[in-house]
Amino acid sequence: MSGSIPRRKVIEILKLNKWFGQFHVLKDVDLTVREREIFVICGPSGSGKSTLIRCINQLEHHQQGDILVDGIEVEKGGRNQEVVRKTTGMVFQQFNLFPHLTVLDNCTLTPTLGLGMPRNDAEDLAMLHLKRVGIDDQAMKYPLQLSGGQQQRVAIARSLCTQPKIMLFDEPTSALDPEMIKEVLDVMVELAQDGMTMICVTHEMGFARQVADKVLFMDQGEIVESGPPGDFFANPRYDRTQQFLAHIL
Amino acid sequence: MTMIFEPKADRPPPPSETGLVAWLRQNLFKDIPNTLMTILGMYLAFTVLSWVLDWALFNAVWDADTRRECLDAVGRSGACWPGVVEWLPNLIYGLYPKDAVWRINLGFLAFVLWMVPLWLPRVKSKVAIGLMAVILYPFLASYFFLGGEKGFVWTALIAAGVWGLVWVWATALCERATDLSVGAWLGRRIAGSSDEQIQKRVRQGAALLLYVICFGLVSAWSLEEVRTQFWGGLFLTLVISGIGITFSLPAGILLALGRRSHLPVISMLSTIFIELFRSVPLITILFMFNTMLPLFMPEGTDVNQLVRAIVAVCLFAAAYMAEVIRGGLQAIPKGQYEAAASLGLGYWQTTTQVVMPQALKIMIPTIVGNFIGLFKDTTLVSIIGLFDLMNMARAVGEDTDWLGLFIEPFFFVSLIYFVFCYAMSSYSIGLEAKLSKGRDR
Repeated sequence: MSGSIPRRKVIEILKLNKWFGQFHVLKDVDLTVREREIFVICGPSGSGKSTLIRCINQLEHHQQGDILVDGIEVEKGGRNQEVVRKTTGMVFQQFNLFPHLTVLDNCTLTPTLGLGMPRNDAEDLAMLHLKRVGIDDQAMKYPLQLSGGQQQRVAIARSLCTQPKIMLFDEPTSALDPEMIKEVLDVMVELAQDGMTMICVTHEMGFARQVADKVLFMDQGEIVESGPPGDFFANPRYDRTQQFLAHIL
Repeated sequence: MTMIFEPKADRPPPPSETGLVAWLRQNLFKDIPNTLMTILGMYLAFTVLSWVLDWALFNAVWDADTRRECLDAVGRSGACWPGVVEWLPNLIYGLYPKDAVWRINLGFLAFVLWMVPLWLPRVKSKVAIGLMAVILYPFLASYFFLGGEKGFVWTALIAAGVWGLVWVWATALCERATDLSVGAWLGRRIAGSSDEQIQKRVRQGAALLLYVICFGLVSAWSLEEVRTQFWGGLFLTLVISGIGITFSLPAGILLALGRRSHLPVISMLSTIFIELFRSVPLITILFMFNTMLPLFMPEGTDVNQLVRAIVAVCLFAAAYMAEVIRGGLQAIPKGQYEAAASLGLGYWQTTTQVVMPQALKIMIPTIVGNFIGLFKDTTLVSIIGLFDLMNMARAVGEDTDWLGLFIEPFFFVSLIYFVFCYAMSSYSIGLEAKLSKGRDR
């Protein structure tokens, strides 16, 4: 890609610091994600990887450093959090679908309420994204009637309905049976190939190899090292990374 | 070489013991202790039931002019119902003038009419209909019950009540017949347009025209005043508990949200209110409002005694309801809030669309339990001299003709309470079943 114009920065994080009480969760984290880039973050539990992406859409508020999402500076204390959240989509480990609404209503809730879209348009949009994740035939069902993999795909569709500029995935396959992991990963791969900018916290290294532009390894609140998947898996520089990879590969 | 896995075909379960005899043996006469318990239970049930039936029906006196005649006929072995029958109008309507009782009946009939569309299939605007009932019906009902002089504002409010009832039925019938809202239907019929803006205009125009007609009718309509001193019996009980129930739910929701608020002042005020009213017995609150409130009011203002009782009941019920709702809110997983937040929904959107529907559904049994409790607690207003159903029943035994006749009226009143409470309970069970249908695995 050398020589071409650098693509727009969707996420820019500078010297991010975050504490939970006395506990220093994120230490001087720097990160830049450009349009259409796919980042995969891995690391042991408690390393701060979830907290990092939760800071990006302000589910957690940071204390020091700067976060820019699509050029908007995220203010400390969450004052402009709603603007930021509308440009980011988030998928959770536990799906967090709304159990009292049908699959379709889960998807149309934000477009109609948050973005003021007419009901018919919102339904068309929802069906489009439900079709994309292969679950349009279940639109009138309630979430608890679906399998875990289907629920997670609905959660992805629901996020897409807010038309985000970047998708954040927080261990999207960790709560799933082995046979369902694939159907969710397939959707994510397709999304990546369609050009969505994504940051995924996941231990699915096959997924990382297949689509990631960069793999990051985090430990103790720091990004220990990062690089394109080929390099990263073949020659990890730090002993800590080698140790971790030895466990999960 | 690879073997191919072929799952076994499904087979029906083995035939179990079925039929009445098998069921009896399984459940009632399984072994000796079980059989003994069955016999003992049936014996107890039979004894109690036969005693009650003997007293209430078989030995009862149905025709007498005084309690003396009853006692001469059957002594204490049978009930003396004529006293209850003679007092029946008072038990139901209190001392409300006999020639005006139709107003009470019509008032409650209007309520039933208002509620009917909620049970009709294919009616879509059920939330709006319910809301209109809660907000507008009280004006209509209070004029039916109270009557009297009405100024301009009062006329306007009553007209809103009449307008609401007509509009609710127009909406319900229109949606049932055409599957369109009133605005959409009128828009097509009159303006011949399906444009949303035009439909909205037409709907507003129709509503306004209807309101003007209602206002005219209400101005021409007048009812004689019946002061609240004459209210009593079941009617009074329903008025107090009805207002208490309708007020306590929304107020409880707001208080519960207030208590969980991140704004310290709101949270503190809500907490103080809830804890204050929850830690004082209702009877004390009633006394306080009855005797102390007039002392704090400016000279010359006279707050009706019934209003004082109603305010006390409402505040007390709201505090209890707030804690019930808070329990429901706490049962909602954090992930639901996070998901709503990550989708960019604001506080009120999250509360009304995501959190509250789930919290209320979880708490239906407890909420209705609270309603039932409130309905029965209204008997305490007898302590400040209001003649509710319970107090009216006591009054029967103080009538010179029926001196000492207490058991029969209390028995009758207990039946009335049972019917109302059991109806509420059954409704809540039905509602739970309906709301959970198809949503759980």
